[in-house]
Amino acid sequence: MLGLAIDFARRFARNRAALVGLLLVIVVIGVAVAAPWLFPRNPLRIVGRPEIWPFVNSRYPLGTDSLGRDIAAMIAYGARTTLLIGLCASLTATLIGITVGATAAYFGGWIDEMLMRFTELFQTIPNLIFVLTIVSILGQKIEYVTIAVGIVTWTPIARLTRAEFMALRDREFVQACRAMGMGNLRIMLGEILPNALPPVIVLSSLVIAGAVLFESAVSFLGLGDPNVSSWGRLIGDGRTLIRTSWYICAVPGLAIMLTVLALNLVGDGLNDALNPKLRDR
Amino acid sequence: MSRFSRRDFLITTAGAALASSMAGAALAGLETPKRGGTLIGTWGGFEPQSLFVPPGGGSSPYFTSTKVLERLIRLTVDLKFEPVLAVDIKPSADFKSYTIKLREGVTWHDGNPFTAEDVVFNAMQYWKPISAGVSLDTLESAEAVDPLTVVLKFKAPVPEFFLKSVLAGKSGLVIPKHIYAGSNIITNPINNTPVGTGPFKVKEWVRGSHVEYLRNEKYWNPGLPYLDRLVIRWWRDPASRAAAFEAGQLDIGTFNPIPMPDIGRLTSGGKFIAETKGYANSAWVTTIEFNQRRDIFKQREVRQALLQAIDRQFIADTVFFGRARPSLGAVHSSNAIFFTKDVQDYPFDVKKAGKALDAAGFPVKGGSRFKLSLVSAGWFEENIKIGQYVKQAFEDLDITVDLAVPDRATSLKRIYSDYDYDVAISNNSGSIELIPSTTQYYTTDGIVKGAAFRNATGYSNPKLDEIVAKMTVETDEPKRIALAKDFDRLATIEGPLLPMVDLEPVTIVRSDVRNHSATADFMGESWAELWLDR
Repeated sequence: MLGLAIDFARRFARNRAALVGLLLVIVVIGVAVAAPWLFPRNPLRIVGRPEIWPFVNSRYPLGTDSLGRDIAAMIAYGARTTLLIGLCASLTATLIGITVGATAAYFGGWIDEMLMRFTELFQTIPNLIFVLTIVSILGQKIEYVTIAVGIVTWTPIARLTRAEFMALRDREFVQACRAMGMGNLRIMLGEILPNALPPVIVLSSLVIAGAVLFESAVSFLGLGDPNVSSWGRLIGDGRTLIRTSWYICAVPGLAIMLTVLALNLVGDGLNDALNPKLRDR
Repeated sequence: MSRFSRRDFLITTAGAALASSMAGAALAGLETPKRGGTLIGTWGGFEPQSLFVPPGGGSSPYFTSTKVLERLIRLTVDLKFEPVLAVDIKPSADFKSYTIKLREGVTWHDGNPFTAEDVVFNAMQYWKPISAGVSLDTLESAEAVDPLTVVLKFKAPVPEFFLKSVLAGKSGLVIPKHIYAGSNIITNPINNTPVGTGPFKVKEWVRGSHVEYLRNEKYWNPGLPYLDRLVIRWWRDPASRAAAFEAGQLDIGTFNPIPMPDIGRLTSGGKFIAETKGYANSAWVTTIEFNQRRDIFKQREVRQALLQAIDRQFIADTVFFGRARPSLGAVHSSNAIFFTKDVQDYPFDVKKAGKALDAAGFPVKGGSRFKLSLVSAGWFEENIKIGQYVKQAFEDLDITVDLAVPDRATSLKRIYSDYDYDVAISNNSGSIELIPSTTQYYTTDGIVKGAAFRNATGYSNPKLDEIVAKMTVETDEPKRIALAKDFDRLATIEGPLLPMVDLEPVTIVRSDVRNHSATADFMGESWAELWLDR
C-alpha cells in the first residue's frame, strides 16, 4: 500500500505544473483554515474608510471595499465559502453521477435507455441558467447554491462512469464474481467501481473548479447568500466602481483565477498519476 | 453650435465647453426647438412588469406609461398647476363639487375622440376604485354635462390643492373608456401596449431590452412632440449605463442612472450634465419597515430602539456619496409645503438603543436578543449595501440577522404580497401632497394585500387615521398644514416605518438634449417638449 502511494506521488510529481497547482491549492486551504485566527472579526464588518487602495494602509493590506470592509478578511473567509461549495458540490455531483452511470451500464436495457435519456435532458439545459433557476426558486442560501451546482454538474460524471462500467462489466473477473453468486450491489461497489474510479476522480477534481466558477457567477449576479463572504459577491459589489476603484474587482478576480487554474493543474496531475497508460499521450 | 460633430465637441476650447454645459434647461427658452431625431432614455432601475400597471406598480411602469397616457393637469417646478387634457378645473364655493373643462380636439391613438365620457369612466371606474385608493373615497358621482365638461361631486369638502395633486399625480392617468369599459382594467392585456392621448405611441416592447415609441402625428398640441422616436432601454447595472453614455448609446437617464463616483468624471468634459431639478413631486426616500404582524415589533420601544441603532449619516455619505441626507420625520425635507423639523429625531446611539431593548424585555441571552429576517429590496444597487450595513448595525445590538436581497419581483412579493419579512428596506417616492402617497404607508386603509408600495407593515392606529381623515376634508390651507404636521409628528414617534435617508437624485443628460427637467416630476412627464440640438 505504501509502495503504491509512493509510486502515485512520484507519477504526480513528474508533472511540474501539477506541483505548482497543488501548492496553490494548499495555500488556499491554509488561508481558509486560518481565517478565524488571521481575522478574528466578522469579515463583513465595516472597519474603516471606504475605498482604501491595497498596500496603502498596513491594517488593510488589500484595501477596503465601497462600504469600508476589509478585503483581505473577505478574501480569507471567501476562500472557505468557495472551497466548501466546490467540495460539497463536487461530492454531490459525483454521488449522483456514479449512481446513475453505474446503474445504467450495469443493468443495461431499458434502465440504461431511461437513465441516459434523463441525463441528456439535464445536459440540454444551459448550466448557468439552470443554476440560477434553482437558486431563485429555492432561495438565496449557500446550501441551495451548493445543491444547484451539484445538480447541474453530475452529467459528465454519469456518462464517464457508464463508459467505464460498460468496459468492465463483461470482463472475466466480473463474470467470475457472478459465477460465485455475488450480489449485484457487491459486484458494482466492491469489484467494478474501484477499477472504474481513477478517471472519475480526475473529472471530479475538475468539477470542483467548475463549481467555484458557478458560485462566483451566481454571487456576481447578486443571487448568492448575502450573509456569507464570497469572492463572486465581492466582484459583483465592486462592479459599479470598476472605473475608479478597480482593485475591488481585481483582487477577488485574481483569487478565483488562481484557484481555478490550480484545481485544473491538480486535475491534470491526478490524471497522469492515476492513468499511467495515458501518460505519454 | 448645432453643426458640431462629436469630434468637434472633444476639441472645443474651455470657453465653448462652458457654454455648452450651460445649455440644457437654462437656455431652452431662448433657442428655437428642432424637430426630429431619436432619444434614448433610461432610468436608474429595471424593466417594468408591464408597460402600464393600473394600480401603480412603482416607478418603472410609471416611467413607461406616462409617455403614452396623459393627465388632466401637471405641476411645474415652481409648484403651479398647468393644463394638459383639462383647460380649467374650478371648485364650487363649498368645495363639494368641481367643474372640469376639457381640451378640444384631443383624440386617442386609435382615432377615437377624447370626451367627457372618458373622464367620467376614469373617475368612477379607474381612479376611485383602483389607482387613487382612499384619496377619492368621498367622490360621489361624475357627470358629463356636455362633451367637454365634467362635474365631480363629493360627499364632503375636498381641498383644492389635494384634488389637483391627485389629478396631476401618479394616480391621475387618463385611460380610454372604449378600450377598458367592461373589462378588468388591471388584467387587460392592452396594458402591455397602452393606448392614450399622449405624444408617443407604443411601437413595440422587446422584453428584456427596450420599448420603442413613435411620434403621435395627431397630437393635440401642434408641433409637439419634437422627437420622431423615443426609446426607453434598460440596463442591469449602473456601470454599464455610464459606459452606454460614453459610447453615445444613451442620451438621458433619470434617477441616478450611473454610479455616483462616475458623475464627476462624466460631467467634467462638458458633454454631459448632472441635473437635480425635476424631482420635487416625486421625492425619493429609502425606508425601513417593521412588520407589525410580529409580536416583537408591535412594541413601539423596540421600533424606536432599532431606528436609533442606524447611522443615517453613514448611509448618506458612504452609500450615496453625499447625494442623500438623513431623513427627519415621515415627510421628505424637499417638501416646500408640509415638511417640519418639529418631529421626534432618532440620533445614532447604539448604547441607548441597547438599553431601550433591555428595558423592553429583550436582554441579551446566549449572545443574542432575538433573531430577525431582514429583506432589502434588490431593485436598487444601493439597497444591497444598505442591507449589509443595517444587518451590521443590528448585530451591534446583539440581534441575529438573516439578510436577503431578492430581485425586484421577489422583493415586491415578499414585502407587499406575502408580508414575508420582519424588517424590510424599501423605497418610495412621495408627491408634495401627502395624501395618499405618504399617508397610505401609515393608515389602516393603506393595507391592501398585494398592492405594491402601500402599508405593508400592517400598522393600524385610529388616532392617526383620524388626523388623515380630517386632512382629507380640510379646505383651509393653513389648518391643513397644521394637520399634516400632526400626522408627521405621530407617524415619526410611532415609527412602523420611516424614511432613513432622503435621496437627492440626479438626471444625467447629454448636453445636446434640451428642454428637460422643467416639471415637478420630470420622469413621469410625457417628454413631448424634449428636443435634440444635433
